[in-house]
Amino acid sequence: MKRKGIAGLLLAGAIAALSLTAMGGCSSKESLHIYSWADNFDEDVLKDFENKYKVDITYDTYANNEDLLAKIKAGGGGYDLIQPSDYMVATMIKNQLLEPLDMKNIPNFANIQESLKNPAFDPGNKYSIVYMSGVTGIAYNKKYVKDKIDSWEDLWNPAYKGKVLLLDDNREVIGMALKKQGHSNSTTNEGEIKAAVDDLKKLVPSVLAFDTDTIKQKMIQEEGWIGTVWSGDAAFIVKDNPDIEYVVPKEGSTIFSDNYAIPKGAKNKELAEKFINYMLDPQVSAKNYESIGYSDPNAKAMPYHSEEYRNNHMINLSEEELKRTEWLGDVGETLQVYDRYWTELKSGRE
Amino acid sequence: MNKSKFLMVPVLLWAALFLLIPMLIVVVVSFLSRDTLGNVVFPFSLTGYKTFFDSLYLGIYWDTLVLSVVTTVVCLLVSYPLAYYIANATPRIQTWGLILITIPFWINFLIRTYAWVLLLRTQGIVNSVLLHFGWIHEPMQMLYTKGAVLLGMVYNFIPFMVLPIYVALEQMDKRLLDAASDLGATRWKAFRHITLPQSKSGIMTGCVLVFVSTSGMFVVTDILGGAKSMMISNIIQSQYLGARNWPFGSALSIIFVVTSLILILLFNRAMQSKADRAKEGTA
Repeated sequence: MKRKGIAGLLLAGAIAALSLTAMGGCSSKESLHIYSWADNFDEDVLKDFENKYKVDITYDTYANNEDLLAKIKAGGGGYDLIQPSDYMVATMIKNQLLEPLDMKNIPNFANIQESLKNPAFDPGNKYSIVYMSGVTGIAYNKKYVKDKIDSWEDLWNPAYKGKVLLLDDNREVIGMALKKQGHSNSTTNEGEIKAAVDDLKKLVPSVLAFDTDTIKQKMIQEEGWIGTVWSGDAAFIVKDNPDIEYVVPKEGSTIFSDNYAIPKGAKNKELAEKFINYMLDPQVSAKNYESIGYSDPNAKAMPYHSEEYRNNHMINLSEEELKRTEWLGDVGETLQVYDRYWTELKSGRE
Repeated sequence: MNKSKFLMVPVLLWAALFLLIPMLIVVVVSFLSRDTLGNVVFPFSLTGYKTFFDSLYLGIYWDTLVLSVVTTVVCLLVSYPLAYYIANATPRIQTWGLILITIPFWINFLIRTYAWVLLLRTQGIVNSVLLHFGWIHEPMQMLYTKGAVLLGMVYNFIPFMVLPIYVALEQMDKRLLDAASDLGATRWKAFRHITLPQSKSGIMTGCVLVFVSTSGMFVVTDILGGAKSMMISNIIQSQYLGARNWPFGSALSIIFVVTSLILILLFNRAMQSKADRAKEGTA
């Protein structure tokens, strides 16, 4: 009888353990509430800001734009600063979820590279300023991939069957196939989307895994030989596995960015603007991006960067490479078409 | 006796607040429409339910059911002998056996699943050992396969099967077995006519727990299966997040809950009537 009690208790514990979640703490001092991606800032840079302005920074993280949207839409969080990606900025503007930025408080905006100002998803930078940007290209391991790689077509090469990695993201992957066929990555033409998906269906048997969050590890561990990888991730991978090479395919590819934005009704809007301005200081910027390893959009920061950083072609893409890129635009109702085809692709059903 | 009813109040409040009300919201949303921005809006609509009957989503639902049933059966086949052994062991071994089975639950579910990645990947522990001893000459592709998904599911849910079966077996009146043997029954006969029927409640509880947990799971297919297959929960998640189609996601959830309930009821009834027939047979 007693042992039955133990078993019941253990079972209950097991079920409880499955549903356990961690909860964060909170503080009472005046503070800047940031909601962003994990490890998106250099810790020291944040501490310097706290000391300089005598404030506390609380930093919560999300794993994807959709989580961010859901939380902001529900009115939750009480955040002062968020970092949506390009297409999400557009969606949030449409949903009236962002405060217009007061550029008077952000004079350092002038330091941003011209090519990253005035983006298609937020004309005139009314609501957002770029934080970091990158492109989607092909990363491959020279140990296993001996052919010259310069086209998306190379992913379809039967020699790499079972070793191809793709991002776990419908717009990225279908956008890639659209680019391969010479179309816009944000087309709303269903015929073009269908043709791209039919092409992808021939690629799926070669795919080892769809992965966004841990695709870096799969390349480092040589699980996959070739795959669609973001330029910033490629720079990270090469540090751990020097056999990895990276190209932006000749057909062109997708450019993306994460941006500073302030959600509607933020309590400390001015402090958030002060923070953005501080981060855009050339020296602070150099320190921050040197640490996190993404490309620095700050044109005036280059002299403060290390030689190694300046010479890294995965961090600093060439003008010519950037010219071939296109932002993922908002596709409106066609998103449902993309989602359905994506489901077909991954489930192997129709 | 009456006073003890008040002890139920906190649980009932909890259930009402955090189970019933959210479920009702999901039911309501499932009958609404979405606008072009992905907001949930009036008028009432059955589109979410109609979309489910597309062969694409029906097919994925079928795949989910098949994987859940296979996982449940494999769990049962592995767990029954284990539970049987523990229930018939010395008290000391029983305690240790139960603790060992539940220890993995003290570790986060995701970490346990990622641990399998370290074991199974091409440069992982299993491949390295096999290569070292020359049993294979090229690393085997074990990760990101259907087999890895099944392994991950079975591994994670075995305790849900072992514990209820153990409880049932432990409760059983062992004198019945002595009586059977005195009357000349073989051990197999005694097992079939006494032990198995007596542990039926445990088997039923275990099967339902494993089936429900498996069919609602999506992390295992992502981590060990390389996100190459879709389960109904993947679709629900993507409708709530990426596709921003909450009415369809809600409709899928409702369909999922209702069909699971029906399947469990059918299963219970099948087990029950079988037991009744067995009783009539012995009477």
